[in-house]
Amino acid sequence: MNVTAKERPGAAVGPRVGGGLGGRAWIWAALIALGLVILVLAPTYLLLESEQRTLASVFMFVVLAQGWNLIGGFAGYPSFGNVVFFGLGGYTTAVLMAKAGANFWLTVPAAAVVGLGFAALMGIPILRLKGHYFAIATLGVAEGMREVVINVGGLTGGNKGITVPAVGSEATTSYPGNTGFYFYFLALAVLSIVVVWAVSRSRFGYALRAISQDEDAAAAAGINTTRAKIAAFALSGMLTALAGAIYAFQQVTIYPERLFSVDITVLMVVMCVLGGAGTVLGPVIGGVLLQYLSEWLRDNFTDYHTFVFGAIIVIAVLVLPMGIVNFARDSWKGRRIAPFEAVRQYRL
Amino acid sequence: MSPVLETRDLSRRFGGVDAVAGVSMAVEEGTVLGIIGPNGAGKSTLINLITGHVKPSHGQVLVDGRDVTGRKPWAIAKERVARTFQIVKPFRNLTVRENVAIGAMYGPERAGSAREAIAQAEEALERVGLGERAELAPGELSVADARRLELAKALAMRPRVLLLDEVMAGLRPDEIEPSLALIRSLRDDGVTILVVEHVMRAIMAVSDEVLVMHEGRELTRGAPEAVVKDERVIEAYLGERYARRARGEDADPDGGREPEGGDAAG
Repeated sequence: MNVTAKERPGAAVGPRVGGGLGGRAWIWAALIALGLVILVLAPTYLLLESEQRTLASVFMFVVLAQGWNLIGGFAGYPSFGNVVFFGLGGYTTAVLMAKAGANFWLTVPAAAVVGLGFAALMGIPILRLKGHYFAIATLGVAEGMREVVINVGGLTGGNKGITVPAVGSEATTSYPGNTGFYFYFLALAVLSIVVVWAVSRSRFGYALRAISQDEDAAAAAGINTTRAKIAAFALSGMLTALAGAIYAFQQVTIYPERLFSVDITVLMVVMCVLGGAGTVLGPVIGGVLLQYLSEWLRDNFTDYHTFVFGAIIVIAVLVLPMGIVNFARDSWKGRRIAPFEAVRQYRL
Repeated sequence: MSPVLETRDLSRRFGGVDAVAGVSMAVEEGTVLGIIGPNGAGKSTLINLITGHVKPSHGQVLVDGRDVTGRKPWAIAKERVARTFQIVKPFRNLTVRENVAIGAMYGPERAGSAREAIAQAEEALERVGLGERAELAPGELSVADARRLELAKALAMRPRVLLLDEVMAGLRPDEIEPSLALIRSLRDDGVTILVVEHVMRAIMAVSDEVLVMHEGRELTRGAPEAVVKDERVIEAYLGERYARRARGEDADPDGGREPEGGDAAG
């Protein structure tokens, strides 16, 4: 019997957990199924190749934002170096394909293992730090890793980049084109959403949310905080590295400056936070909105698109620091919070 | 009968200060040990040492005869030792019910799933009287209810040893009575309880034995009635002048200006 569904006279907020929502769960499932069918059929019937490319990048950022969500949103550890997993994933694929002649599909699990393993290893010392210190340390690791990749030029091609064999007789895997990458990134985005959704409902997800508020209290409740944090970071690193792997193949030639660019980290953070950190839908909404906006601005404001993009982010964060999803939920429940009050209310 | 909770020469130095210095004690199953002492006496540090939140510089902690010294807090929690915090530490991003469910999720009897634990939270919520407010956010609770939430979080772990760090601080007298009744009923269920409290009347009413701490050390211990009459205790709490006045040898002309000290430090 589902206790959360019991009527409670003092209940001002509806049960957020439990899922025994009967009819509503079916409506959600139907909507999600419909959306997926449309997304799968779209490249054939609706989209131009250029639009598929745009959407592929949208999906990729959904993955990155969801990856960041696990460590930054759920566990409350603001990683400013998550791009390191993206870069490592990308270089794992590129190096294995270019130097070892590996099939792309074999490099994908390798990239996942590298992302997961590196996150766990770097997490052991770094997750002892909190807040700004953690942010700075992760930023440092990412910047440092870019220099390392530049300096092992024999393997990575250094600043000149590395090119995967994608065409002709040297190709180890036939190049899937825009439609192919649209599907790869779509599949990965769906995977990342399912992973985060499963985490959000699990004991592990509750452990991370507890950790984000108070680690002493979480530990007193029996949560192995060290293990939970490392697991969250490792999962985050794995999803991010997978995105990097597909990106490397898509781009054919990759450069350290791009694959370890701090801009990518900033985008993940902004997308997740603006959509709603610690929620399942937030990074999806944030990723789709911002990446689409960014592409649209680039097409329509060629000269000063970054300026407009930045201004929009600043305004959005000022107005909705709690994120779109949390704002919508609170409005729905009639709990209004003044814009600047939100920073305190949500302990941002 | 062997004690459920025992400390041997437990000590911790912070810089040059002995926060806790050589405290040895043993608490029998199903009894309540009250710990009192002025601010800075080391009461909270003692709890932190037992639960592993602070590492001892010296000495041992034993639960059920097993040495658990130096273990991490979550490992101590697995030994069925639960605690509350003096400064309440709710998980603000969860509902009251979910807060309590965390204890059921990760406590010694790990619930099978998050949903199961959330259902299990009901018992602890009812026991502390928060059943009606289970769906609120912790920030929407009153001070008294926030203290009750701390208690419910600990109870959801179904502890054998419960360490209560000032769960009655800031409560009105009429709010204290239910807390005392709850502590008694937990004791009757066989829970071994350590109560740190400033509210003298509360601790006297509920403790089987009282340990008085002063400057990190055990000042005295014994039955509640004996301890309150102990002159050293009055002295430690209220200062020497008050103690002299209590003895009726008030030589100090300023003695009359001492604060009225019914409940000791408030």
